Amino acid sequence: MLPRRAASPPRQRFPSRPQGYVDADEKRATAISGDLRRAHPSAGLRIRPAEWKLLALVVLVALGVRLFRISHPDSVVFDEVHFGKFASKYIKTQYYVDVHPPLAKLLITLVAFVRGFDGEFDFKDIAKVYENTPYTSMRLLPALMGVAVVPLAYLTLRELDCGATTALLGSIFILFENGYITQSRHILLDSPLIFFTALTLFFWVAFSNEDRDRSRAFTEQWWLWLTLTGLSLGAVVSCKWVGLFTIATVGVDTIRQLWRLLGDLRVPPRLFIKHFLARALCLIVVPVFFYMSMFAIHFQILQNSGDGDGFMSSPFQHTLGGRGMEDTFADIALGSEITMRHLNTQGGYLHSHLHSYPAGSAQQQVTLYPHRDENNVWRILNATEEGIAEPDYATAPLTYVKHGMIIRLQHLPTEKRLHSHNIRPPVSDVDFQNEVSGYGFPGFIGDANDNWAVEIEEGDKHDRESSRRLRTLHTVFRLRHTLTGCYLFSHKVKLPEWGFEQQEVTCNTNAVKPNSLWYMETNTHPQLHPGDERVNYELPGFFGKFWELQQVMWTTNAGLTDRHVFDSRPYTWPILRRGINFWVKDHRQIYLLGNPFIWWLSTASVVLYAVVRVVLVLREKRGYQDFNHSRVVKYDSICSLLVIGWALHYFPFFLMQRQLFLHHYFPALYFAILVSCGIFDLVTATLRPQVRLQLAAILAIVAIYNFTHFSPLIYGGQWTRGQCQRAEWLKTWDFSW
Amino acid sequence: MVRKAPRDRIVSNPTVPNPFEDENISLIVGIALTFVAFLLRFYKLNHPDQVVFDEVHFGKFAAYYITREYYFDVHPPLAKMLLGAAGWFVGFDGKFDFEKIGDSYTQHHVPYVGMRALPAILGSLTVPIVYGIMRQTGFPIAIAAFSASLIVFDNAHITQTRLILLDAALVFFMALSLYAYIRFRKLRYSEYTTEWWLWLCSTGFFLACTLGCKMVGLFTFLTIGTAVLVDLWNILDYKKGLSMEQVWRHFFARALGLILLPFIVYLSFFWIHFKILKYSGTGDSFMSPAFQETLHGNELLLNSQEIRYYDTLTIKHRESKVFLHSHLERYPLRYDDGRISSQGQQVTGYPHNDTNNHWQVIPTKALPETGRGRVVRHNDIVQLLHVVTQSNLLTHDVASPLTPTNQEFTTFPRDDHSRYNDTLFQIVITDAHDGQAWKSKSALWTHSEPLPEWAFGQQEINGNKNAQERSATWYVDQIVEDETGEDLRNRTGVVEPKQVKSMSFFRKFGELQLLMLQHNAGLTASHPYASNPINWPFLLNGISFWTSNGEKQQIYLIGNPLGWWICVMGLSVFVGIVGADLMARRRNIKPIQKVIIPELRNRLLNSTGFFVSAWAFHYFPFYLMSRQLFVHHYLPAHLASTLVAGSVLNFVLTESIEYPISVARRGVTHLRPRMYTDFGIKGLAISAAVLVILVISFCFFAPLSYGTPGLSGEEVNRRRIISSWTLHFQSKEIDTTCVHKI
Repeated sequence: MLPRRAASPPRQRFPSRPQGYVDADEKRATAISGDLRRAHPSAGLRIRPAEWKLLALVVLVALGVRLFRISHPDSVVFDEVHFGKFASKYIKTQYYVDVHPPLAKLLITLVAFVRGFDGEFDFKDIAKVYENTPYTSMRLLPALMGVAVVPLAYLTLRELDCGATTALLGSIFILFENGYITQSRHILLDSPLIFFTALTLFFWVAFSNEDRDRSRAFTEQWWLWLTLTGLSLGAVVSCKWVGLFTIATVGVDTIRQLWRLLGDLRVPPRLFIKHFLARALCLIVVPVFFYMSMFAIHFQILQNSGDGDGFMSSPFQHTLGGRGMEDTFADIALGSEITMRHLNTQGGYLHSHLHSYPAGSAQQQVTLYPHRDENNVWRILNATEEGIAEPDYATAPLTYVKHGMIIRLQHLPTEKRLHSHNIRPPVSDVDFQNEVSGYGFPGFIGDANDNWAVEIEEGDKHDRESSRRLRTLHTVFRLRHTLTGCYLFSHKVKLPEWGFEQQEVTCNTNAVKPNSLWYMETNTHPQLHPGDERVNYELPGFFGKFWELQQVMWTTNAGLTDRHVFDSRPYTWPILRRGINFWVKDHRQIYLLGNPFIWWLSTASVVLYAVVRVVLVLREKRGYQDFNHSRVVKYDSICSLLVIGWALHYFPFFLMQRQLFLHHYFPALYFAILVSCGIFDLVTATLRPQVRLQLAAILAIVAIYNFTHFSPLIYGGQWTRGQCQRAEWLKTWDFSW
Repeated sequence: MVRKAPRDRIVSNPTVPNPFEDENISLIVGIALTFVAFLLRFYKLNHPDQVVFDEVHFGKFAAYYITREYYFDVHPPLAKMLLGAAGWFVGFDGKFDFEKIGDSYTQHHVPYVGMRALPAILGSLTVPIVYGIMRQTGFPIAIAAFSASLIVFDNAHITQTRLILLDAALVFFMALSLYAYIRFRKLRYSEYTTEWWLWLCSTGFFLACTLGCKMVGLFTFLTIGTAVLVDLWNILDYKKGLSMEQVWRHFFARALGLILLPFIVYLSFFWIHFKILKYSGTGDSFMSPAFQETLHGNELLLNSQEIRYYDTLTIKHRESKVFLHSHLERYPLRYDDGRISSQGQQVTGYPHNDTNNHWQVIPTKALPETGRGRVVRHNDIVQLLHVVTQSNLLTHDVASPLTPTNQEFTTFPRDDHSRYNDTLFQIVITDAHDGQAWKSKSALWTHSEPLPEWAFGQQEINGNKNAQERSATWYVDQIVEDETGEDLRNRTGVVEPKQVKSMSFFRKFGELQLLMLQHNAGLTASHPYASNPINWPFLLNGISFWTSNGEKQQIYLIGNPLGWWICVMGLSVFVGIVGADLMARRRNIKPIQKVIIPELRNRLLNSTGFFVSAWAFHYFPFYLMSRQLFVHHYLPAHLASTLVAGSVLNFVLTESIEYPISVARRGVTHLRPRMYTDFGIKGLAISAAVLVILVISFCFFAPLSYGTPGLSGEEVNRRRIISSWTLHFQSKEIDTTCVHKI
């Protein structure tokens, strides 16, 4: 038998019970009830009047720092190009599509609107000088939200049961964070985003404090904090989708709460379900409702056609002012004069015009054209039986176009017929593509290459006729070229200048189905009279529009994969490897760079917590009783919430392929800074208040020194070349060129 | 946990061994399954006598081992070397190039049946291993046979293992790793015995083999690694009473067996790989010049020349293989997006040979009249003169035509010195030392400050400010002439025959490994049969491997739908049971414990949990990959899911388990009361019934797996039970109805 040794940990770890020691029973009780109140005194907002005065002072300083020369520069900075432009679109009520939800943009617009901005400035390029634009007021909104984060950090830290000194330090860190200042001084969305993130955290911490005492559950206070959390969650996610990470943070913490509640055998299942439903209502339903109502406002404002039309489906487009359509005849027969649209892309109508392909057959071009035009009109001719002269459609009996029928399409203005042959198209020059052209001349009866078989793909469910024969708008069909077997096809490829950058149309022998589907949009026929059945687009309701826009935003967002000169990958953010050049003019520069001291300190704190936590877990496995110590329990609960928040706001970016920027780290940075404050509170917990204050003062002074050192980059101030180069502490900071 | 007396247990009679659970019967069943597996995998192995799907690649690679020509592939070499060995064994001379799917083997006298036999053997042997895993884990014969038959009668496994592909070897070694680890784990009370070490090391060895077949082997490492970590975590527990020294000893033993040993084995595969492939071949151009010079007959080795100033060169971009080109046309003044260009002479990349590709190297320093001083060296600053238009290459702070973030390249008349600074380029030879001469074919150069990068479409050359980019590498293709116009070969005097250079194995290994990873990540082109991982467990996609129009035959990789769906059910039942159990225990209700003997829960969490983790580790990481993925990537995960299906079926059918199954050691373990599975006739009947349906389903889809017999249109339609399967030769109703209506 192997010699067995006793477990190695020393039994006498704590010779005498230190102050604040929780024994096993107490710990178990705490764990079951989730009531840490006994372990450490309750948090909650109990702020002394002196603290309010202090806080007011901090806010005043923050105002000074954030608003200093905010009207400078008087030209467009960085992404003001986009967000300024969106404000002008709102004011002109022209529809646009952006990857971000509308709340922050609506707020900016509101300010601009109140100050009488007419939307005429186009925010075209960075460094374009503003004319007749209340840009200062527009910048004020993000700036004030940036200021508001400072007291929020203070209050949150107080709620987390940290000392006033720590809370003050935290607010000073936020106040003098160069990155936050730079970002909040321009018309950008990140400042509202960070504000709402901070607000959510504050509300959530307040709610958690309330919830810890079972007896206070479902009181008015409890409901208030919970509802406010939900509303503010809705606001975060309505600024940018990154807000989903905030939802995840709150969600994870909610699950932690519920798991603890589930383990409390004194809580009957009914009560548990009540807790569960209350959270589901406030943290899921309320944010979703808030988010959707933002889009309701968005659609309400943007009622007119604009440059975002092309992203949306045709029914959606027809809800926009200036794009409506009159009712059109439903029945399509031989002789109908129709316009025909491609289903899968927003390329538009099957179109032809009096220009020829420069290569290939050199016959007349056939393209997709997005706008209404008489060159989009085609007439359906019969080709089922060879050699029969075209009847006079005004008198001949109506023959509806059915599945499998062979037709020809004649371009009305030029009298050419839709034609395809075994010649490669000029742009998509590959084996399986055939050119499609307009061919023919007056008196020529056409040849077999003009023949197309109608293959009905599906009809509208409410119109049963439409799956048997062609009906305007309701029938989706394919056109098969009878000789070569290829399908009329289009894809998101633009023709070059000779094709007026319209979308390419080909005949594809290997066509993917979605790109070979077509439908008729308008239809007239000499024998149809005003009284005959007419159809129109079924305009989508709010939910249809909402859902469609979400999908468009998602695909657009995923498609943002081009490289940008100043983009960066997530692993570079915590070490502040590189900033972003916002604006350069006349040897002055605005460059987004964090406060290196605060930045590195926060990263170090997160790493420190992770390491210590792992060591503690390993020690526990070896029998050490660290988790019985009330201080360990308290700071572990504070820091774990914040570190989870940091991780959830940071790591998901690694999965994103789209272009990413340093400022995407800002919400995570907020959590990291609070972690560093939590650790400061822990380290100085046993010190005398005076020493603690002195330590905090030293940290604050270093932070402020760093801030002033780099402040010319924030305000676009004067700097000599030498100063500038000396400020480049890291080789990767590229602002001095 | 509170132990209850045996009579409290509801289980009918677990203290008496089941008469069916006999080692002899177990052996017979195992052998029978193996026999059937061999039968099914060797059935008509010679059909089709044509190249099928990826045999294009792997057959070719196997042939390279026989001809000993260097090639490059993203997969590690073990499985391909085995295929090569199989080919060599059956007398393949490597003289067939597997050019495209459908090439005939018989016409070219390729002994392909022998090569296919190797995957078929490995695939068949996977079956007894699966059976063994289940038996070793303590499941009754019927359950073990059930799991094994999910593999035996699986169309996807059969299709994949009958062809010259890597997955048979991969799945085989993966299953062996799991088996070896389970054997090792069962010996946990006999630590440091010879047997213990043996199974530990064989786990490591098989892991290395798995990784040696495909990078997917890393997931097997993760599976075993996680299990080992959990094991170590329990060893660390102070309640176990082990001292820290003992914990460390356990840790180092495992590190030795499961990290160091596999690493050495893995390296040895590459060592053999390099030893075999010593002649220049298709893979040369992927490698660095230093590597290429280690290969016999490499062009670089034979023909490279030093470049001297005033030589006229053609310069090729390494990745896109286009020449640096310029011609008299100018950039348009204004681009479509409104940006303005310099309207300078165009500099483009051009794929064909042309005098407009000629550039002359102009020095920027004083040169000696003759001798070695005229050789262009690393870090030299030069100008490049476009010979036809007599203008110097220049780049400046104007955005390039298509990529506004990069600089434009143009040329500038050679006599005009006003822009001199913009025409200076620095020669940076990749992985070179100072003073190394610039050689044609070998030297790669990049540009000092703004630097040419091939980007976007076919025509643009632009300057990227980030000089580290790999895509900024160019090489001199040819020295056209030197200033005197002499015959180039004579200028260095007598050219001595060049020796093959050597390079340390570790540098070669490092270079190849890095390239493999980069190319693997770069396989993002879309493929018609590539599919998303979400489709795999439900079998929503297959791959068309091969078709023959004449007899309407086709091979379509698709699993046995019934088998796969049983596996998915098994997984979801497991998740459901464990989830419900966790929730209930939180409320102090112990559903599993209360009804059933206490060890059952541990068995469910540990054994089945291990199988589920194997499935999860072999499946979920694919979601993170952006390269092209195919349904056959799911085969290792499918194997794990058959194990889960078996053990979940066992859990559902009976409440008793075989216990204890670990190897006891006198004096160390307390001997626990022995228990036996009471499986009953009911369980046996259910397993048998499932088996019968499984076989029927297999036979129904078999024509798609074996590629014979051919199927008529209606028959194909009937087999297309899921509309997303893209089978060939379906009868089209549309066309016929069309005609009738007209």
